[in-house]
Amino acid sequence: MSYYFKPATITEALSLASDYSNNYVYFGGGTDLQIYRKQKLIKDEAIIDLSGLTDTYRIQADGNALRLGAFVTLDDITSAPEIQKLFPLLAEAAASVATPVIRKTATIGGNLLVNNRCTFYNQSKEWRDAVGSCMREVGATCLVTGGKDKCFSRNVSDTAPALITLNATVTVQTQKGEDEIPLKEIYAPDGIKYHQHMDDAILTAIRVPEKPVDWWFKKLRLRKTLDFTSLTVAAAIDTAGMARVCLNGVSMSPILIEKPIADLTLEGLTRSARKNCKTVDNDLMPLKYRREMINVYLNEWWQTVKDK
Amino acid sequence: MEKVQLNINGFTRIVLVDPHETILDTLRNRLFLTGTKKCCDEGTCGSCTMLIDSKPVLGCLTPTVRCVGKEIVTIEGISSGDDLHPVQKHLVKNGGMQCGFCTPGVVMTAIPYLEENPNPSVNDIKEGLSGNLCRCTGYKKIIEAVKDAAEELNT
Repeated sequence: MSYYFKPATITEALSLASDYSNNYVYFGGGTDLQIYRKQKLIKDEAIIDLSGLTDTYRIQADGNALRLGAFVTLDDITSAPEIQKLFPLLAEAAASVATPVIRKTATIGGNLLVNNRCTFYNQSKEWRDAVGSCMREVGATCLVTGGKDKCFSRNVSDTAPALITLNATVTVQTQKGEDEIPLKEIYAPDGIKYHQHMDDAILTAIRVPEKPVDWWFKKLRLRKTLDFTSLTVAAAIDTAGMARVCLNGVSMSPILIEKPIADLTLEGLTRSARKNCKTVDNDLMPLKYRREMINVYLNEWWQTVKDK
Repeated sequence: MEKVQLNINGFTRIVLVDPHETILDTLRNRLFLTGTKKCCDEGTCGSCTMLIDSKPVLGCLTPTVRCVGKEIVTIEGISSGDDLHPVQKHLVKNGGMQCGFCTPGVVMTAIPYLEENPNPSVNDIKEGLSGNLCRCTGYKKIIEAVKDAAEELNT
């Protein structure tokens, strides 16, 4: 038995969530969560549809800063003239997610909080029963690594690396009140509990403080449409000369490398990327190829920076 | 079960649905509107595309309860009898279908796409229809048909 709720205010949504303690799921665009329901990976009793929270639908540009409601769809982000002008990095990242039709439903808040993926977890019930469940579901060990007691599922958000390099902060609402935290702090390097500060909380808005001087974005995937990322690299340089490079799809959380552009070398950059990425063979693309592509993409970005 | 009132192709229907049921299952299994096809059922193929408040959405990912109070248009609501929509007409004329299973999804994606982009290039159409998979791989004819339909709609 399940129940469907469509609260009109955030307070109402939060109190519903506390009524159902751990037996609910927040529903944004729902394009990813529906598949989890069909594959019986989510069995929560209550569906709390957040589409009634109408004050989370707005895009506000204020000088060089930007405030996005969490329910703004990825398609709106791609086509909004103010975002194309100020933050083309974000527009390109949003345009690289899924297909044009899915982007009209999928929301930015949902993309930032997308569930981590793994080839041994995101499968049908029959597939998982035949192979044996991994530790993320009911089993005891990780099947990708052949028996480690740690989960290495990948974070696959494409807008997260873009917004992290733009130094974005998110507004998180809980029953205790509203809190603004840097976006990169909501991700934890753990394959099972990959979000922190988000327990019983609702992400309501995203704020990007300033326009970058320079930006770069590239996503690696098998097909040019629909596929989740195998490696996303976003890079931005801010007005103070700080370079931020963020890699996603290769570890349990986005990997940020932050350094003043004057002190940055390609060798140092690739070394710290390789050191921080806990990449395992849990994607359609082979592990060796994905590891090699980290170097290729970082090198590609470095060449564009050097040319300027 | 929840009692919901749906507005489908201009008709009002009252049905009992499960809270997590998708609009695709409601249309096909409870209302017998089987024009919208159920193919991958996980948002990959685009066969179940329909219009909700003139916006294309995937029926297999949309809960029925979310469609209450909205205007749903399925492939059955696009044309009547032999009087086809230009997109449908050119799909027939150009042979833009082989088995025809993906066709309702292609039509429902192409119509709102051409409203937004009246003068698309071939590459624009490829991008716009990139969420619709055709297992018969008849993409070239589909793209030609949509291009011709765009020209007809502009004249």
